[in-house]
Amino acid sequence: MRLQAVDVRLGYGDRVVVDGLDLGIEAGTVTTIIGPNGCGKSTLLRAMGRLLRPSGGEVLLDGKRIDKMPSREVARILGVLPQAPSAPEGLTVADLVARGRHPHQTWYRQWSSDDESAVGEALAMTGLLDLGERPLDELSGGQRQRAWISMALAQGTDLLLLDEPTTFLDLAHQIEVLELVRRLHGELGRTVVMVLHDLNLAARYADRLVAMRDGRVVAAGPPAEVLTETLLAEVFELDAKVIEDPVTGTPLVVPIGTLPQHPPR
Amino acid sequence: MTVSVAPSTVPSSRRRALRVGPASWPLRPRSVVAALVLLAMTALFMALSMRLGDIPMSVLDVLHAITADGPDHFVIMELRLPRALTGALVGAALALAGAITQAVARNPLASPDILGVTTGASVTVVAVIVAAGNTWGGTSGALAEVGIPLVALLGGLAGALAVYALAWRDGLDGYRLVLIGIGVSAICTNLKYWLLTVGDVNDSSRAMVWISGSLHGRGWEHVVPVALALALLVPATLLGTRSLGALRFGDDTVTGLGVRMNLARGVMILAAVLLAATATASAGPIAFVALAAPQIALRLAGVAQPPLVVSALMGAVLTTGADLVARTAFTPVELPVGVVTAVLGAPYLIYLLVRVRRKARQ
Repeated sequence: MRLQAVDVRLGYGDRVVVDGLDLGIEAGTVTTIIGPNGCGKSTLLRAMGRLLRPSGGEVLLDGKRIDKMPSREVARILGVLPQAPSAPEGLTVADLVARGRHPHQTWYRQWSSDDESAVGEALAMTGLLDLGERPLDELSGGQRQRAWISMALAQGTDLLLLDEPTTFLDLAHQIEVLELVRRLHGELGRTVVMVLHDLNLAARYADRLVAMRDGRVVAAGPPAEVLTETLLAEVFELDAKVIEDPVTGTPLVVPIGTLPQHPPR
Repeated sequence: MTVSVAPSTVPSSRRRALRVGPASWPLRPRSVVAALVLLAMTALFMALSMRLGDIPMSVLDVLHAITADGPDHFVIMELRLPRALTGALVGAALALAGAITQAVARNPLASPDILGVTTGASVTVVAVIVAAGNTWGGTSGALAEVGIPLVALLGGLAGALAVYALAWRDGLDGYRLVLIGIGVSAICTNLKYWLLTVGDVNDSSRAMVWISGSLHGRGWEHVVPVALALALLVPATLLGTRSLGALRFGDDTVTGLGVRMNLARGVMILAAVLLAATATASAGPIAFVALAAPQIALRLAGVAQPPLVVSALMGAVLTTGADLVARTAFTPVELPVGVVTAVLGAPYLIYLLVRVRRKARQ
């Protein structure tokens, strides 16, 4: 296990969102967490990326407690792309991506040739070489998201946590971002954990789906095993047919309607 | 060991590198040029300012008096140079404090004023001048030399401590810091005006000169503290430049990059507070330099965040330039430098506000 949440309790202030949850991430896999709004999937991802400190249990990175490791050392192993990240006004794409090198730099080594080649490769991989000097605020939503992913790439980490990387993007740009994730995994062997809302895309691009509801993991496994009609009813209160995706053979959800609400737990 | 200036291999990137053996730094030619030009301007403004006084001199006289013995040597070295230096150093310290504050608060409208430093210093100095006025024979004697700067320093640090303590809640949030700072500043400012109204007229007018920010009669005893603060804190902040750059991102990104966010914020804010407090102790709260200099500097250098060295030099240029205007615009009346920076700064603040609003509406 590269990254592991062990019996974690997570929340904000007094409000507990996740309690007693266990989840392990294998090296070299793409794991996608799905679930209805407010089920705690982003909270879990934030905790696994040490952006949120668990009030109970622990998160282990390569077997070591992540909160006991120096934050800089963690940043060389694990990169996080938060939901709706914010950057300073007027920042250029190249400067954003260069910032990803932060954990590899010291005060006397601020722009080494390694930094430079890593930034060049990250820009090339995301197709942003021509946009390097453009201010981030002037890019389209898809380009901007690619720039953020490029920054995470420049950080050169084996593990990447992406919190809803496709939100606010049109379908073509969503596919573009997810194809990029697939290449990171396929060509560079990166381990990716992401939160997605679109179930069909989640099924297409993940090795492993984790379905959450009310702060619990309801099911975890290969998409074909997890994404079933019963699970959709239980987790999303969705009446739907699941057929085979004619392009990829993965499960394809065709919604029929919502089901009557479960009594509140 | 080889020293090389490497052109960028990242296509269409202006980033060059200065590499010395294993060490390397990004090199931005435009920032280097801006810094050199501003340094030359500071020297020029200082020289022009040193011409002025009871014995008018030309710039050549000034330069000559620095090296040659004689009465002019005393006038320049003991009276005019310390005043000009105070202006340059105070301006640099304020601007550096402003650049740090704007980065940590992620807000181009932030300045050390919102850290409680300047307003804290003002209210304490006014309180001391007004309360001590008649008892200690005003503040004309030794008390003015040592007392007022010390009081200002303590007041500034106390103001900053109050803001910091109130703004801390499981960490330091830039937005919360700004709001608390504005609140504390408003309280201090009103206290200050109340003290000015209840105080003796003569004491109040003396206090008014101090709180507008003035370089009048500043000597080596005003130069040394700011010079020491800059000598210590400039290298310290330069070491923190990378963290400061990272702190301008959202909290999650900052942590994701491996920066210990609260530690980095605390250290940088402490540096800004010390710089602003020592500067204010020497010359009073000179308005707008800390706000405007970093923003002008980043436009000059063509970068997204206030560059520290260029900001500091810009602050020196603004302050020495404004002092030149303050001394020559209405001769024989000499204005406090803070009046000129405020008159110049107000329209600039309005411009910034309008621009931020327009951005927000888009």
